[in-house]
Amino acid sequence: MLRRFRLEEPETVAEASEILGRFGESAKIYAGGTELLLAMKEGLVQYERLVNLKKLKGLNEVAQEGGEIRIGALCTHHQLEGSVLLQKQLPALTKLEQNVANVRVRQAGTLGGNLCFAEPHADPGTLLMALGAKMIAAKSTGQREIAAAEFFVDAYETSLQTDEVLTEIRVPTPSAKSRSAYLKFGYLERPSVGLALAFNLNGGLRDVRIAVGCAGPAPRRVEEAESMLEGKSREEAERILPQAGAAAGRASQAISDLHGAQDYKEHIVGVLLKRAFQSAIG
Amino acid sequence: MQFEKEVEILVPREKVWNFIWDVDRFIACVPGCKEAKTIEEGKKYSATLVEKVGPFKVEFPTNIEVLERQELAHIKAQASGADNKIGSRMKIDLDVKLREQDNKTILGFVATVDVLGKLAALGHGIIKRKADQVLDEFALAVKKRLEGDA
Repeated sequence: MLRRFRLEEPETVAEASEILGRFGESAKIYAGGTELLLAMKEGLVQYERLVNLKKLKGLNEVAQEGGEIRIGALCTHHQLEGSVLLQKQLPALTKLEQNVANVRVRQAGTLGGNLCFAEPHADPGTLLMALGAKMIAAKSTGQREIAAAEFFVDAYETSLQTDEVLTEIRVPTPSAKSRSAYLKFGYLERPSVGLALAFNLNGGLRDVRIAVGCAGPAPRRVEEAESMLEGKSREEAERILPQAGAAAGRASQAISDLHGAQDYKEHIVGVLLKRAFQSAIG
Repeated sequence: MQFEKEVEILVPREKVWNFIWDVDRFIACVPGCKEAKTIEEGKKYSATLVEKVGPFKVEFPTNIEVLERQELAHIKAQASGADNKIGSRMKIDLDVKLREQDNKTILGFVATVDVLGKLAALGHGIIKRKADQVLDEFALAVKKRLEGDA
């Protein structure tokens, strides 16, 4: 049962930040509520105040500006799966959003909420990390950029401060040579492993970024595997993929849980890397 | 979930043994432990364990019972508690062994931790990792405290 709480409805980000700063851990941001309200109903968390962001203007748009795709944190997954701009520029993100949870979650859940709740088995953070995304965290006194790789700290923990509001996710606009893919595998409601791969095909593989999610407490880059593929031709990369996959698995910090044992997840990372490469290269 | 840890402390065994039974000093080394009380000297104690994973907080009022005690060598204890607010229970079976080696002490412990109820919804892997972190911090704190005093 949901316990009583006070609903705050700020009209600006600064106002929301001020409320969050004033009430500290007894207040929490409420956007889609798909994770938060379930946890509250279960009695796993209790807050005296929920700060509803849904009335804030301008945080639910997708736009291309200054070499970046800017995604408002309040965009729902449903909105993103139907965005023409994303379909054209970031098809891997479109595909990911089409497969987030189920249709009810996609209708209500927001990208910002998904990232801020930092549930270990969530999809978007992993791909955003491989795409080199930056999170914009705003508070009453200004805003800062947080690289996706620094945003996730641990299970359910981000680097956001108590009074910061995630307002936007900025992804560098991919060039004609950019390739990316996100694949996941699981047999329960949430994935056991998610893997994102991004690189530029420019006389070989350049700027290779591989991120693994769901397997451990938080998504993470697996630089050991990235460096094995960096600069390689397509053919060389294909040959080296099994070793790179094994390195990615070892570096993924997979933990054993109901979604699979550690060695099983590490193996799946390797399989997904191979498939993601084929999918990205087309 | 079973955890096995071993820590080498550069002080004699007797000092480590006495430290374990000095409740206030010992409890200060257990992360998230507060309000420790002696119910029956050498046999029963109580404390509150507070832990946090992201926004999820648990507070277990815990009863600790010493089941076996072999002077300077071995302690077997059991701790159990419930957080009624979030409907979860936990039980820890603890086996502590001390052995002396060249004027230093090897403190080894095996902890079997069971967490039941809604908290388990966080996932076995997450809880296991947290418990492992807590035990590592505990072992390090005991070592630091004793070697600092030496």
